[in-house]
Amino acid sequence: MNRVENVASVPNPAQAENTISMPMGLLGFERIKEYVLLADPAEEPFLWLQVSNDANLAFLVVAPQPLLPSYKPEISPEDVAFLGLDSAADAAVLSIVTVRGPNHATLNLKGPIVLNRRTLVAKQVIPANAAEFSVQHPLPVIQP
Amino acid sequence: MLVLSRKLNESIVIDGHIIVKVVRVDGDVVKLGITAPMEVPVHRQEVYEEIQKNNLEALTQGRAAVSALPRVPRPKGDADTGAWPRNRNAAKKQ
Repeated sequence: MNRVENVASVPNPAQAENTISMPMGLLGFERIKEYVLLADPAEEPFLWLQVSNDANLAFLVVAPQPLLPSYKPEISPEDVAFLGLDSAADAAVLSIVTVRGPNHATLNLKGPIVLNRRTLVAKQVIPANAAEFSVQHPLPVIQP
Repeated sequence: MLVLSRKLNESIVIDGHIIVKVVRVDGDVVKLGITAPMEVPVHRQEVYEEIQKNNLEALTQGRAAVSALPRVPRPKGDADTGAWPRNRNAAKKQ
């Protein structure tokens, strides 16, 4: 198993929009294979994974590792090969965020999105150690 | 549903290119080995359904539909200052 290091993402404002290819789609959304990843400095550390050509379909995502430093998903060799990851530095891990109320959200740690930052190909993977993780992990928030 | 009986180390072939083999039988646990092309996703059903359900819940009607984002703590010592993600053009230049 390869432990892919999470990347503390600081979106580059100069690259506010990147087209992401997800050949397998997201689980339950297998037919949607093209997304754009939208970054806005005002929304850091969150990013939007928006369906290409449809601004009304989008997932809020975040790099989980800066928020949860102990989170270490084990990416299977098959997924590493599928994504063509040559080095851990090429991989970015993103978690899908579910906003459940004012300042209340959960992270899907069981099915992270792994992105090859070089090729911009991504896949929602199920880590080998998925049993350790929840699909509804509370997002650490600052209480007012 | 098609029901087939298989012994230990016996397989079934699906569509000529997917092989499911009984690798181990231990009480009520059956271990299966699955050989499938890379583009064929294989998941435990309950895990697949859990993530699928969560994806459906997480889907929003877009950036404008979410009024306020959660307030998260800033990471200590901003680690990564590199371009994120690296785009194709940047990769070519390297």
